[in-house]
Amino acid sequence: MIKNLAALIKNDIAIAFKNRSVYLILFIPLFAVLSLNLVDPSNEASQATRIGIIRNENYPFVIMKSIRSADKLFIVAMVKSVEEGINKLKAKELDGILTKTKNGANTLELLVLKKDSFQTLAIVSGLTALQRSAEGKSASWILDIKPLHEEGIQKHALPTWVLMSVLIVGFIIMPAQVAEEKEKKLLLGLLQTPMREIEWVFAKLFLGMILTFTAVLLLHVMGGFDFGDIPSYALFLAAGGFCFSSFGILLGFLCGSQASARTLGVLFYLPFMFPAALSDISQKLSAVAPIFPSYQFYQPIRSILLEGGKISSFPMEWIYLLLVGVIACMISIRLMKLRWLM
Amino acid sequence: MQLEVRGLTKVYDKKSGLHPTSFKVNKGEFIAIVGHNGAGKSTLLKILGSWILPDSGQVLVDGIDLKNRLAFVKLVGFVPETPNLFDFFSVEYNLKLFAGFFQVPSSRIEEILKEFDLLPFRKKRIQVLSKGLKQRVSIGRSLLADPPVMLFDEPTVGLDFEMTKEVYRLLKSIHARGKTIIFTSHRPEEIRTLATRILVLHQGNMVFDGPPDEYFGSKAYKDLYL
Repeated sequence: MIKNLAALIKNDIAIAFKNRSVYLILFIPLFAVLSLNLVDPSNEASQATRIGIIRNENYPFVIMKSIRSADKLFIVAMVKSVEEGINKLKAKELDGILTKTKNGANTLELLVLKKDSFQTLAIVSGLTALQRSAEGKSASWILDIKPLHEEGIQKHALPTWVLMSVLIVGFIIMPAQVAEEKEKKLLLGLLQTPMREIEWVFAKLFLGMILTFTAVLLLHVMGGFDFGDIPSYALFLAAGGFCFSSFGILLGFLCGSQASARTLGVLFYLPFMFPAALSDISQKLSAVAPIFPSYQFYQPIRSILLEGGKISSFPMEWIYLLLVGVIACMISIRLMKLRWLM
Repeated sequence: MQLEVRGLTKVYDKKSGLHPTSFKVNKGEFIAIVGHNGAGKSTLLKILGSWILPDSGQVLVDGIDLKNRLAFVKLVGFVPETPNLFDFFSVEYNLKLFAGFFQVPSSRIEEILKEFDLLPFRKKRIQVLSKGLKQRVSIGRSLLADPPVMLFDEPTVGLDFEMTKEVYRLLKSIHARGKTIIFTSHRPEEIRTLATRILVLHQGNMVFDGPPDEYFGSKAYKDLYL
C-alpha cells in the first residue's frame, strides 16, 4: 500500500507541475489585494455597536447617562471584569470595552479588537456626538484607544491569505485535477491495476496537504510573518488542508470534465471564502459565516496568528474540520467504486 | 473454459446497453464482437475490462469474479479505443508507473519496450507520439502483468493502412503466445483476418455466436453489411 501511495503521490505532484495548476498558489497575494479592495463596509457604522462596561467600575456619571440614553447608537453590556470583556471582544460578542483612565478625570480608555476597524470608528464617532450634545466642546471622553492587535495591516490580512491558499488548493486545484484524470480516462486506467480506491484518494489528499503547506510557507517567507504557536498552527493547517482537499476531490467526482469542475470549484470557493474572511469587519457576516467550514478554519487560524491562541481553545472546530473531511472522503471513495461520471 | 459470462446486463435506456447476455470462452480463442453502433459491443468489453459496472450478472475468469477487482485485473488486460496514457510523461514513465502497481520487475519494462519497438521512443513524451505509437504503448502497458485474457476495443480505428497491418501483426503475435483475445470491430476484413469465433450483438442482445465461415454466410452478417 505504501509503495502504491508513494507512486501515486509522486505522479500527482508531477501532474500538478506539468499542468501548471500548482502555480496558482503563487498568485494568492494578488487575489488577496483584489478581494480586500472589494470590501464595502459603508452600512456598518449605522448599526448599533456593543459596548462593554465593567460592573464595579466607577465611570463618570455624565458619560454613562449619555451612553445609556443613546440606545440607537450603543448596546451596553455589563461585564464582571476586563478579562471577561476581552474574552467577549475576541468572541465578537462586544465591539469595544470602556475602562476608566488612571488619572481619574472625566476620560475613558476604549479597548477594541482592531484600531482601524469600522466598529472602532462607529464607537468613537458615536461618543464624540454624545459628548458634543452633553457638554459642548471640551476635552474628549476617549483619552486613548488600545487595540488587542498591535500588528500592521499586512499581519491582519495574513489569516485571510492563509484561508485563500487552502481554499484555492481545495476548490480550484483539486477538483480540476480529479476531473482531468476522469476526463482523460486515466483514472479508469489506474483502476485496471491492483491499486485500491482508497490509495488513490489518499494520494490526492496528500497532494492537497503538501500544496497547502507549501502555499502557506510561501506566504510566511514572502511576508516575513511569524507562525504563532507552531504545533497549533500546523495541526489546524493539516485539518484545513485535509478538509478542503477532501471536499475538492468530491467536487471533482461530481463533474465529468475539467471545465465543469473549475466552474463548480469557483461556485464553492466564493461562498466559502468571503463570509469567513470578511466576518472580521461585518456583524452580519459573522452571524452567517459559522455555517461554512471555512469559518471553523479561519477563526482559529486568526486567533493563533494574531491573538496568541492555541488549539486547546478550538477543539470542536478542529474535530469539525476532520469530520467534514472524512465524510467527503468516504463519499468520494464510494463514487469512485461506482465509476461515477467516468 | 477460461472466461464465463452469465446473464450480464447493463441498461442505459430501453434500446441501448446490454441485455442479459451469456457465453463461455475457451483458452486461446480469438473472438470478434461485432454489431452496429450502440449494439452493446463496447459496453460488454468495458464491463469485462472493469471500466463500467454491470447492473446484474456475473463474469468469471479462471474462477475469479469480476467483483474481486484487485485479483481480476491481473487476469484481464484492456486496451481502449483511445489510448488513456499520461500524456505529459514519457513512454518509460507510463510503463514504470503501471509496472509498480502490478509489482513486475523492471526487466519486464525492457522486454515490452523491445517487443513493441519502443526503445527509440522510451524518453519521448506520449503527447508527441503518433496514434499508432500510442496504441503500441497502450498495448504494451496492458501486457505488463502478462494477463491470460486480452481485450481490444476497436484496435485499428483511426490508423492508416500500414499501422493497421502492424496492429494485426501484434495481435496475432500476442495470440500465438496462447492468450485469449476478445476484440470489437466494424471491419469485415479485420474479422476475417483475425477471429476464430464471432459474436454478433444487436440492440444489446446476442444474435449470433459461431465461426467466421458460418458468420459470413449468415443472416446476421447480411443484416449488418448488405
